[in-house]
Amino acid sequence: MNLTVNGKPASIAEENPVPVSQLLELLRVEQREYVTVELNGDILDRGDFDGATVKDGDNVEFLYFMGGGR
Amino acid sequence: MGEKEKKLRFDTKLIHGGTSPGPSGATKTPIVQASAFAYDTAEELEDIFRGRAVGQVYTRIGNPTVDTLEKRLAAIEDGIAAVVTSSGMAAITTAVMAVVRSGDEVLSSSSLFGGTYSLFHDTLANFGIETRFVDPVDLAAVEAGISEKTRLIFVETIGNPKMDVPDIAAFAAIAKKHGIPLMVDATVSTPYLARSKELGADIIVHSTSKYINGTANSIGGAIIDAGSFNWQNAKFPHFEQFYRKYRSFAFTARVRKLIHKDFGACAAPLNSFLLGEGLETLALRMERHCSNALQVARFLQAHEKVAWVNYPGLNDSPFHEVAKRQFNGRFGGLLTFGLADRAAAFRVINNLRLAKNLANIGDTKTLVIHPASTICADYTPEVKALMGVSEEQVRVSVGIEDIEDILEDFAAALEKA
Repeated sequence: MNLTVNGKPASIAEENPVPVSQLLELLRVEQREYVTVELNGDILDRGDFDGATVKDGDNVEFLYFMGGGR
Repeated sequence: MGEKEKKLRFDTKLIHGGTSPGPSGATKTPIVQASAFAYDTAEELEDIFRGRAVGQVYTRIGNPTVDTLEKRLAAIEDGIAAVVTSSGMAAITTAVMAVVRSGDEVLSSSSLFGGTYSLFHDTLANFGIETRFVDPVDLAAVEAGISEKTRLIFVETIGNPKMDVPDIAAFAAIAKKHGIPLMVDATVSTPYLARSKELGADIIVHSTSKYINGTANSIGGAIIDAGSFNWQNAKFPHFEQFYRKYRSFAFTARVRKLIHKDFGACAAPLNSFLLGEGLETLALRMERHCSNALQVARFLQAHEKVAWVNYPGLNDSPFHEVAKRQFNGRFGGLLTFGLADRAAAFRVINNLRLAKNLANIGDTKTLVIHPASTICADYTPEVKALMGVSEEQVRVSVGIEDIEDILEDFAAALEKA
């Protein structure tokens, strides 16, 4: 499926919707214990990472609070 | 922290928790003594500033050596994240300023380290933040002290130098009932004695300069976010933007992206390395601090020239039972005792040969001080009484030397007193 990740096109081999927790692994997202996930404009609770799924065409943002500025 | 790591036992976590092998395979945290970090493209740096990518920018904001210590402290306190600072007072100031705003109130234990009392009573008051001080042992007074404006409850796990031991779980129940976060200063108990998150603390602060460092070679502080408080709360509208974006990390995000960044009380990389070195032996040292302190307390209690001893490990201490329950049968390395008067207290200090007379605690060395004329000298007799400070009192931070040498030192000094 094709996704937009942090504003850039990205694709994963899976065709069916995948849980966000699996997406974090597939994309080798850094520092997964601290990342915030925004799916199509909505911030997910960390407890929803297993339940929420990502499908073709979705827009995903991975956000960190450790970065340089506000 | 991975699931596997969460299952590690405490002493193992002190050594392995929050660590990850770097590219070099070094088994020690590299000391990254650099102020700033370069990137090849403008886009990469933009992504980091926007929070879209992880990366170091500037050591006031973050540094790899500092970051490792933060992850290790979060792991040993079972927190979701930690921020380390240049000192324990910087940690308290930063954490408190992240929670409260002008017009808010703090409800604090009156049994406080002098620096914290000064921060609440003088400095924060000048910025429109009032603190109500209550006896932490009087839980009815604690609850009665909460007003519509209270936004934070603050307590030390072992009051320094009063040596009282508040019931932290009872504090947590009161805080929860009123929808207010509980911040505990666990410096004197250390994470080895007090499992602060389990007791109900929402935010844990430490002066890491003390037992965590252990050998008095670096000043440092830490703020650990237990992740237990719901910041989506009408009392905390200033957390809204952080909750909306970072959810359970709202507190740490507000600390890191606003207060810590703006106040700039950042930890030095070298100090963070040294503090991490100390962390590894915390459990071993605390066992010895605790056993030595109990023996010193018993020796002093039996001595004819000693009027009183305050140590929660003594069976007749009013805090023995709560400390025993709360600290899993250990009582820490700090105690106070009283002589006949101030002159006798000075004579004992002047005649000690092994114990050092200085303003610190938590070193491997046995340390003493006369609090009333030094660390608490600025306060009125009324405030001193509130803080458990008296003229005939000596505070002892019992070290990890051979107990026979410590006892002989006190015996000889008392003989000359």
